[in-house]
Amino acid sequence: MYVNDDSSNSDLTARVIPCLDVAHGRVVKGTNFKQLLDMGDPVELAQLYEQQGADELIFLDIKASVDGQQSALDMVYQVSTHLSIPFAVGGGIKNLDDVHRFFHAGADKVTLNTMAVEQPELINQIATQYGSQSIVVAVDVNHEADGSLAIYTHGGSRRVAVNYHDWIQQVVDRGCGEILLTAMHKDGTGSGFDTDLLAQFGADFPVQVIASGGAKGPQDFLNAIHAGADAVLAAGLFHRGEYTVGEIKEFLINNNIKIRKT
Amino acid sequence: MNAELNKPKTQVGVIDLNSGNLLSMQTAITAAGCELHTLQQPRASLLKQLDVLVMPGQGRFAYVMNQIDRHGWRDFLLEWVRNGKRLVGVCVGMQVLFEGSDEDPEAVGLGLFQGRCQRLSHPKTPMVGWAQLDSYKLTLKDQFAYFVNSFAIKACPFATAKVTYGDAFCASVQRGNLYGFQFHPEKSGFFGRGLMQHVCQ
Repeated sequence: MYVNDDSSNSDLTARVIPCLDVAHGRVVKGTNFKQLLDMGDPVELAQLYEQQGADELIFLDIKASVDGQQSALDMVYQVSTHLSIPFAVGGGIKNLDDVHRFFHAGADKVTLNTMAVEQPELINQIATQYGSQSIVVAVDVNHEADGSLAIYTHGGSRRVAVNYHDWIQQVVDRGCGEILLTAMHKDGTGSGFDTDLLAQFGADFPVQVIASGGAKGPQDFLNAIHAGADAVLAAGLFHRGEYTVGEIKEFLINNNIKIRKT
Repeated sequence: MNAELNKPKTQVGVIDLNSGNLLSMQTAITAAGCELHTLQQPRASLLKQLDVLVMPGQGRFAYVMNQIDRHGWRDFLLEWVRNGKRLVGVCVGMQVLFEGSDEDPEAVGLGLFQGRCQRLSHPKTPMVGWAQLDSYKLTLKDQFAYFVNSFAIKACPFATAKVTYGDAFCASVQRGNLYGFQFHPEKSGFFGRGLMQHVCQ
C-alpha cells in the first residue's frame, strides 16, 4: 500500500514514529520492559524529532500509575504547546475522565493497554465520544516457548488469559482506530520487527497497525512496511542517536516507499 | 517607525464545540501572531469585534451539528458568511459547511456548500496519517497534510485540493472568504502553521 505506484488508490504515506517512554518527567528506555536508562527531557526530544521529520510521536508514561497523574498532564500540555505534529499518550488512564483530561491538556490520541483488557467498554466509550481516530490500543504480544502468542498487560509483566486473535478482533469491533502492536520477544533486541506477525495482521484486520519492538536499522523499517505496517515505531535507536528520523525516512524514500518529506 | 509593527493584530475567534483537542488550534492561532478569542456562544458584537472565525470539529457529524444548534451558532454563522466575513472550518468543521453526511443522515448541515459527506471507500478506516495534496494553489500544492477521517466530500466545484484514499476526495474547499480543510492544519507541521497564518491574515 505504501510502495510508489501510479495505479495506487491511496495517497497515504507510511509514518515513522519515535516513542518516548516517560518516567518522573524524563524520557527513559528499558530493555525487554526492564531496567530503565535516562534519555532526556520530553519537550526537547519531541522538538528534536519534529525537526528531523517525525510524523507523529507516542509518549508512554510507563510510571504514571506510580507517580500520580499531574506530572503526566503537565508534560502533555508542555509538549502540545511546543509541537505542530500529532501525538498520542498512554499510561495511567483508568476511566473516561482521565481521557478527557489528556485531550484537554492537548493530546490527539490516547493509548490504552492494561485498561483495555481490564475494562474493554472504555474503548467503546472513547470511540463514541471522541471518535475511533482518537484511540490506539497497545497490544503487547509475546511469542511463548510453546509457540503460542500470549497477550500481556502492566508494562509487559502480567500475562492475561485472552486469545491473541480474538482479542484484536474484539478491540477493533469496539471501535479502536489503530493498534500499536509490540512484539515483546523482539523489544530491545535489535533483531528487527516481527514481519510474520505484521503480514498476518494486515490480512486479518481492517485497521491501521503501528509496528513496534526490535528495530535496529533502516532495513527493519522497510521490511515492516513491506510486510504491511502502516507506521513504524522505535525508541532506543533514535534516543541513542544511532539514526535520525531523517536518515530512516531518506532510506525509505530511496526504496520507493511513500513518505512525507519535510 | 515600521508600519508593520503598528498594525493591529488580527482578531481570531475559535469556536469551542467541546469536541476533542482545542489546544493545538489555539496554539496555532497564537503562533500565527493573532489575538485569540475562545467562544462557547455567539453574540451580535462578534460581527464587529472579530476578523476571522475558526471552527474545529472532531467526532461525529451529528454531535458537532448538535453542538452548533444547541449554542445558537447556526443563525450566527449564516449571518457571518452573508456579511462576507471569513470562516474556516476544519475536519468535521469543514464537513458541517455542507448539507449533510451519510454518517448521520438525519442531521442537517449548514448548507453553505452543496453536497453530502460519504464514507471513504478504503477498507482501512479511519484514514490516519499524512498525504500529499494535489492542488493548483501555491499555498497547498504538493504539501503534506495530516488527515484523520472516515468520511469526506467526494466532489465539489470549489475544491482547492484533492487527495485519494479509496476514491479521490476534497482535502480543501474555498469560496471567497469561506474556507474548509478536511485535514488538520494545526497538526500539519510547519506547512500547517504557515497555512493558518495565511488564512488568519
